[in-house]
Amino acid sequence: MSILKPFNKLPSLNSASILLVENEEQFQQSLAEAIVKDTDFTVNVRLAKYLPLPIENEETRPRIDLVVFIINLTSELSLKSTETSLKYLDPAYFLGKVCFMVTSARVSSVPVERLDAVRKLAAFNHSALLFAEDQTPDGVTMAADRLKTILKVSAGHVPMATALYLSSLTQCTQCTVPTDIDQPSFN
Amino acid sequence: MDDKSKQLLQRVIRRIPIQTLKATLEKWGRLTAAQQQSIDFTQSKRALTDTVIDICEENQLSMKHITELEMINVIDSPNQSMWHALQLIDPGDDAQTVEFIQFKKQFKSHLVELVRHVSIKIKKHTDEAIWIRIAWGDSYTRPNHMKPTYAVHHLQTPYVFVTTLTSKQKPLLSQALLLSTQYQTIKEANLSGRKLTAIRDLLMKQYQQMFPNSFPSLLTETKENVPDPHKVHEQAGTASTRGRLACETFGRGALPQIETTVYKLDTKYKDPTNQTMSERSRPFKCVVKFESKNLLESLRHCATSGIVSTPVAQLLSSIPKKGRNFFYVTDTDAASSSQRPASQV
Repeated sequence: MSILKPFNKLPSLNSASILLVENEEQFQQSLAEAIVKDTDFTVNVRLAKYLPLPIENEETRPRIDLVVFIINLTSELSLKSTETSLKYLDPAYFLGKVCFMVTSARVSSVPVERLDAVRKLAAFNHSALLFAEDQTPDGVTMAADRLKTILKVSAGHVPMATALYLSSLTQCTQCTVPTDIDQPSFN
Repeated sequence: MDDKSKQLLQRVIRRIPIQTLKATLEKWGRLTAAQQQSIDFTQSKRALTDTVIDICEENQLSMKHITELEMINVIDSPNQSMWHALQLIDPGDDAQTVEFIQFKKQFKSHLVELVRHVSIKIKKHTDEAIWIRIAWGDSYTRPNHMKPTYAVHHLQTPYVFVTTLTSKQKPLLSQALLLSTQYQTIKEANLSGRKLTAIRDLLMKQYQQMFPNSFPSLLTETKENVPDPHKVHEQAGTASTRGRLACETFGRGALPQIETTVYKLDTKYKDPTNQTMSERSRPFKCVVKFESKNLLESLRHCATSGIVSTPVAQLLSSIPKKGRNFFYVTDTDAASSSQRPASQV
């Protein structure tokens, strides 16, 4: 199976590509529309249900600058699918070019352990964890704006900032990470 | 008017929603225009009931007239009780030529022969359905109008839908139906639901179906979506295949509103990770119940979105294919629909 690589293609001028991976394929539609709408640079949105991506599209696919995993907290399957999809990403992506977006986190029926599992997943992969509201148009626009801000950096559109900065600035640290991957302590 | 009919009238009016009460009374036609005018429909249901009872008493209406009103209400809103489907099999030579007058006469005479004290009312509705109301009594008691059985039959179709039928009355009704429709046998169709029209549509396949064909390209043309060059679906091919397979099983467009499906499993537990359970000699018994506002719609969505694997498993696809919503699944019984363990459903 093909592994998605961040640097095997050349970037094109004034454009950035984002890959939205969601098992339910519900939120990604509206999110994609919101992202494509009024931007000052060309955004290519790629939608996928899971990774790996089919080999047939390899030629036409632009260089993917940011991979977003959308996890619906109400479904166990969504989390499981994300976990398996992660294996088909090149390690170089985890230097700031991956983020996790969680929806329905405020639904009361969601078990607390699942949110912890998602937090742990994001912490282990040194990636950003975003929370989004997928039911209201305002929430979708907000989520799209946040993703676009990150995309700009990871695609190299912001001078003096690289994706590598993102990795250390936005990674999820809200959860207890095992000591071996934590920052070294100096005492 | 005696106490019994007063009681029934009270109950019937209680069941009719206040918005449709006026129209229903008009349709009934037992009150004069002046009497209908005099009723104030803005007052409370209780006061309204008392007024109607007073007027009925004035008109000297009997039980027969009250049952008419009840029947009108049940025909107009059949979704107030649970309907079960019965299937007639082995048609006789004359089964295709049975017509309404003959059916009515035969059904009445056969049922009265079986149970002496029974009150039967048969009415033909506009959509070719025959509505039968039966109030049962036995050798010593008079027909009980408070617990009537309703049966709906469409002539020249092998299906009968019944509601509130006890096991004691079932053989009697079955026999009368068989004799008057010229069929040989009757059996449970294993389909029940609150929506009468839905179970009728499912059994008679009156919804938009799609048949498998080998030219999937023809189907994609119907979807008029202009692809956006900036928004590309990577797995579009598999998604459309899933959608097509789901539509082939469940049909396109609106689906009959089936609310529940029950699977009674009596199978061997098959799970390689659970040794203790799978090595048990006795079968694993459990009941799996799916509930939804519109179950078929939900299942179709599950298949299109990939939550349920496609092609759709036999147990799920046999709901629309066989028109059933109760399945008894065993390992060896060939009569059951499928042989799949519970863990996979």
